[in-house]
Amino acid sequence: MQFELTIAFALLGAVIAPFVARLAGRWSGWVLCVLPMALFAVLLAHIPLVADSGVLTTSHEWIPSLGINLGFRLDGFSLLFGLLITGIGTLVVIYAGAYFSEKPPAQAGRFLSLIMVFMTAMLGTVFSDDLIVMFIFWEMTSLTSFMLIGFDADKKSEARASALQSLLVTGSGGLVLFAGILLIGMTLGTFSFTEVLARSDELVASPYMPAIAALLIIGAFTKSAQFPFHFWLPNAMAAPTPASAYLHSATMVKLGVFLLAKFDQVFATVPGFGITLVIFGMITMAIAAFEALRATGYKAVLAQSTVASLGILVMLIGLDGEVAVVATVGFIITHALYKAALFFCAGTAIHATGEASLRRMGGLARFLPVTAAAAVLASLSMAGLPPFVGFVSKEYLFEAQLESGWNALPVIVAVMVNAIMVGVAGVVSIKPFFLNRSRTQSVKHGETAGLLAGPLILAGGGIMMGLFSQQAAQLLIAPAAAALFGAHVDVSFALWHGVTPMLILSGLVVGIGALVLIFWDSIHLFLRRRRILHNLFTDRGYQHVLAGTLGMARNSTRWLQNGDQNHYTAIVVATVVLVLAIGLVAGDGVVSLALSDDPWRTSVAVALAIAALGAIASLFAQSLIAALVCVGIVGFASALLFMMNGAPDLALTQFAVETLLVIILSAILLRLPVRGGHTRSLTERRRDGFLAVAFAGVVFIAIISMTAMPLDLRLSEFFGQTSYTEAYGRNVVNVILVDYRAIDTLGEIAVVAFATLAAWALLRSARPNDTDAKG
Amino acid sequence: MPIVLVTLSRVFFFIMLAVSVFILFRGHNEPGGGFVGGLMAAAAFATLVLANGVEAARRVLRIHPVVLMGIGLAMAVLSGLPGLITHASFLAHWWIELGSAHLGTATIFDLGVYFVVLGGILCLVFRLYEEAIQ
Repeated sequence: MQFELTIAFALLGAVIAPFVARLAGRWSGWVLCVLPMALFAVLLAHIPLVADSGVLTTSHEWIPSLGINLGFRLDGFSLLFGLLITGIGTLVVIYAGAYFSEKPPAQAGRFLSLIMVFMTAMLGTVFSDDLIVMFIFWEMTSLTSFMLIGFDADKKSEARASALQSLLVTGSGGLVLFAGILLIGMTLGTFSFTEVLARSDELVASPYMPAIAALLIIGAFTKSAQFPFHFWLPNAMAAPTPASAYLHSATMVKLGVFLLAKFDQVFATVPGFGITLVIFGMITMAIAAFEALRATGYKAVLAQSTVASLGILVMLIGLDGEVAVVATVGFIITHALYKAALFFCAGTAIHATGEASLRRMGGLARFLPVTAAAAVLASLSMAGLPPFVGFVSKEYLFEAQLESGWNALPVIVAVMVNAIMVGVAGVVSIKPFFLNRSRTQSVKHGETAGLLAGPLILAGGGIMMGLFSQQAAQLLIAPAAAALFGAHVDVSFALWHGVTPMLILSGLVVGIGALVLIFWDSIHLFLRRRRILHNLFTDRGYQHVLAGTLGMARNSTRWLQNGDQNHYTAIVVATVVLVLAIGLVAGDGVVSLALSDDPWRTSVAVALAIAALGAIASLFAQSLIAALVCVGIVGFASALLFMMNGAPDLALTQFAVETLLVIILSAILLRLPVRGGHTRSLTERRRDGFLAVAFAGVVFIAIISMTAMPLDLRLSEFFGQTSYTEAYGRNVVNVILVDYRAIDTLGEIAVVAFATLAAWALLRSARPNDTDAKG
Repeated sequence: MPIVLVTLSRVFFFIMLAVSVFILFRGHNEPGGGFVGGLMAAAAFATLVLANGVEAARRVLRIHPVVLMGIGLAMAVLSGLPGLITHASFLAHWWIELGSAHLGTATIFDLGVYFVVLGGILCLVFRLYEEAIQ
């Protein structure tokens, strides 16, 4: 499979999206969706191949010096993710096109472009075999989701804060993951996941193993919003709804689960790995279910249920055995289908009413009948009722728990959480669409084909997969489960298993869930009214860390950057003196004063005398202008010295720099008050004098000891001999600058450009009232 | 403004600019090059600023110094691309021989350096003298 081509194709979508939006207008979603749909078709065509051969890999050399290859890998599990990413991506693009149809094309184009970049990053992450490559794409998803969550940053300040929060949490989690990847590379000498998998015994035996496992777990937990990082995901619903649908269902938050599932085989024998996942998964589930009961917004309820689902997945990965693997894969598919559909419906309902809170909507089925039907279908799958695929996957969840070596605790938590999920499913489908008809009298926007395609296809998919579960199991679940399990898995993913303990548990869930649904309002109000619960599971910890970091930055800035130029110069000079002195003492330790054998040159002596005179005169200068001129004399005298010693290039540059320095500094001096006498106290002047003398001293000793060393002329000779033959230039200095060391020069001019840009911008802000942008 | 300075500044400006270009192009074989050339050109514009004011100098330059800086940086980067294609090495320069002279992508690179230096210094000079006068 041409992985690079696949990823490049998705990226192409990002590039053309703005143009498509401008040309196709309200049809842009339908036009642009051709790209992800084509990718989906390509991936579909790979199903038989992967089912037969198991794993396809390709690898190209990328950074051989670091052992990093552009390695890609397609197995059943990554294929499943690829299908979800491109399949739901197609629907998201269609939906977003309709959602933004009344907005300016530029805005729609930017959004579609971001969605396609996000798709690119997701595909890259799931297909990467090389862990470094995976990390790069992983971080790309964090950055893109930052932009998606903050899409309405100009309108909502909370969008900005949420975007920053998600970036800080997932970005720093990414760095933790990176540390884990580097440790794996150090231990095994390879970044290829295929090889890591093959040599997992070696990895597990290494002393770094606990650290590696902990780092990867933290990285995955931040991405998949597991406790204690569960707070960012509900806040991320500040994103436009099509983005939420994508973030919550098939992408982003599933990456942590993806990583854990992928490494589960490697870490299977590590003590504590599975237990950690089960415990944290359960805590996350419980918190999220509780918060779902308290949430008021339509999207907020769904977001909390996503966190709960992620907790279920993490717990399933932590459980041992074949059934747990099948349950994981099954639930990933099920959840992606119904969650994307429900977010689409939520988006349509919010778009139509202009209200975000569930309390302010009602009876929407009158205005949005098809959306209401899709929401009901999707929520039936979420509630786990037959014949939907959600029912099958819930059966598997309970079977995995009963078969594992755990006690009854996970089962009890799972029953409670799933019951609340049943309640949530009812609340998000029945309440806004069928009850409380008086709440909504009219809607601003109706349903359009683009808004309906996504929810209908996904909700329909939920039934089809439930009815044809055997076929789905063979085509999708078995290869994915085999990739995770490392061996063939016998999947009997069927609707009816007979009366089993699982069926009884499912019945219990639905029963309690129905009660939750009936008493939802009283439970909800009861929990909302308890003030103590408001800040129980929120992002208080995050806020403390953020405030603490900012406070530290403020304090250190106040101390280090106090605005006193003398203070800065003193610190810089003192540092140079210290470093040079340490270098001189720690070096050879022999500082010999080697007198040159060259004959006395009067011209040089005169130039030196001028320089010395200029320096001394600057001490006695009464005005800044005079001091500037005196320092200028020193500069010109050193230019003369360069010229006399065979460095015409340096001399020329020095002359030009001195001239411009005087011009620039006089501009600054023109703005300062002309003041006689000194503003600095005697103590300060003594300190300055001491620093200046010390600086001169160490520089003198350094130069003396440098000239005393034998000069290695090999490089100079090489450049001298080859500068004309290789680079057609006789001026060796220039040839080095533009050819031999051109990349250094490029770096330097880039630094010059950026530093100037910064200085220029800072100078501009000195005139706050000037709105004239000519600069 | 003193009339002598104003009158002579035009002359000086052209002479200095011509010299700066001369220094830039002879840099490959004799002392000079893009950096010094750029400084010299900046000095030429600074003369205009001192004599005729920032607005006059801006009009002569036509484009914004920040844009000039960007152009220079882009030229330096682009000059390295041909080498990347043929020699698989960024900034491995191409050369054509014109009689005894050689022209190559290195010349474009040096021109880039020239523009970055010129643009950068003019950014500061223009801004500072505008500030100073107000």
